[in-house]
Amino acid sequence: MNIESQIRDYIAKNLLFSSNGYRYADDISFLEEGIVDSQGVMELVLFVEDAFGIQVDDQEIIPDNFDSVSNLAAYVRRKKQ
Amino acid sequence: MNTADYLLQTGKDTAPAIFSKGSWVSYGDLRVASARLAGELLAAGVQLGDRVGLLGENSLFWIAAYLATLKIGAISVPFPTVATPEDLGQKERFVRCKAVFVEKRSYRKFSSAFPNDLTLIFDDILMDEGPIWWEAASANFDLQKTAALMLTSGTTARPRAVRITHKNIQANTDSIIEYLDLTNSDRILVVLPFYYCFGTSLLHTHLRVGGSLALCNTFAYPETALDMLDSAECTGFAGVPSTYQTLLRNTTFPNREFRFLRKVQQAGGKLPTVNIQELVHALPDAKVFVMYGQTEATARLSYLPPDLLGIKLGSIGRGIPGVGLHVVNESGNLVRPGEVGEIIASGDNISPGYFNEPEASAEKFIGSALHTGDLATVDEDGYIYIVDRKSDFIKSFGHRVSSQEIEAHILELTDVVSAAAIGVPDDLQGEAIRVFVTLRKGTSLSPEEILDFCHQRMARHMVPKEIIVVDSLPTNAHGKIVKTALRERGEKV
Repeated sequence: MNIESQIRDYIAKNLLFSSNGYRYADDISFLEEGIVDSQGVMELVLFVEDAFGIQVDDQEIIPDNFDSVSNLAAYVRRKKQ
Repeated sequence: MNTADYLLQTGKDTAPAIFSKGSWVSYGDLRVASARLAGELLAAGVQLGDRVGLLGENSLFWIAAYLATLKIGAISVPFPTVATPEDLGQKERFVRCKAVFVEKRSYRKFSSAFPNDLTLIFDDILMDEGPIWWEAASANFDLQKTAALMLTSGTTARPRAVRITHKNIQANTDSIIEYLDLTNSDRILVVLPFYYCFGTSLLHTHLRVGGSLALCNTFAYPETALDMLDSAECTGFAGVPSTYQTLLRNTTFPNREFRFLRKVQQAGGKLPTVNIQELVHALPDAKVFVMYGQTEATARLSYLPPDLLGIKLGSIGRGIPGVGLHVVNESGNLVRPGEVGEIIASGDNISPGYFNEPEASAEKFIGSALHTGDLATVDEDGYIYIVDRKSDFIKSFGHRVSSQEIEAHILELTDVVSAAAIGVPDDLQGEAIRVFVTLRKGTSLSPEEILDFCHQRMARHMVPKEIIVVDSLPTNAHGKIVKTALRERGEKV
């Protein structure tokens, strides 16, 4: 499963409590669309640290890195390099 | 004077009022936008005393819609944006609005909440030409009229709305301005929603003095707020306990310098003393105001002068100007130093009661005094220390244990971000103590280590039986931990 699908799956199951998957485009802003709130962001941080074995620094928790499936996947790829 | 006129009385047309989405809006622009929306309300047939809903994030539109509603003598009902559509629909049916101001992007989520025949006024109307109305301020306005219905997140499932009069708002605003010494040079970074009374109080006070507000709706990414504190040259900041716990434990806040920050406000629940000390340490050049209040009191009831933080740490201070704040025992007498009683408040900021709930109002508002439901002690100098909510006490081994005291001990562990203690039925203890904690990311702290720490620090009847580590704690729209949700979750863990 690629990074995007893992992120979509996690959000659908754990933040949206949705049984029919993540039904937004990958570039949709989580905040604008109300997909995650502040607790959700912290849960996402813990998720990507565990799932992809990366270390997220506090100053990296910004919308450019975290606020859409695309941004988050790109961030994970950069960190894994 | 009408509260809309009172709030817009001093700001100069050319002075900055609101910083939102990257640009500044002047008081002149705010007046134009408010008059445009007032014209729209009148055109929609909204009359004196009608309820007008308000749904959206903090923005120029929100503020102008609020002012417009007050100005025409209607009653503003700010709705929370974090509700579900069903929840919001239930709230609307409870207050029955004549019209609702809605931000377009919120409408996508909430369209099912409103009946089809309800008049909706969207934010993009500000871009269009249309009716404008703003009558000159009149001195003989009836201040006892209701200005707003503030929805509270009560513990019951049904909605509850606190009636706030024009008099309430103006009295509380004047008091807060006095003790915070606010002037037109004050600029606050707002991360709290305006539908929450603490957020509304920031709006009221800063507009009244002709100061300015920088709106940050992205606190989910706290670093964006920290950047804005500096880039928008903010002199003030305000938050609830979870705001500061996030900043202190999970951001660069403790290691950064904020060149303009001078006044920091904390309210909305008890911030553990260890966090207050960390906050003071992180901001050596700022005054930290620990405050206390309730929606039923418009917003604010007490504050602790910052220079007393050293000797009165943990106190909520004393009544703010114009507020009588007393701690009374079950016989109705003022408590002696050390004795626990309930905090009772009086003053022009106390609401006349709940909307359409005469019985609940009669229990909470007795002879115009507000019975807060908060239990507290008073020291020899009259400073008040909250012990707990009446409903949050835990009865362990025959002792009445304050859940907040347990939480405060555990938060001394710097790897713990937040903690919530509840009582669960137990054959031996009466109630056993269960504590839910969230941890700083990357820590290896285990529940056993937390329990060891508790055994070393606490009396036996206060030691938790169980520590449960969770990713997050359930909070309400105002960021307060919802203990009823934890109690319900209880048995399943």
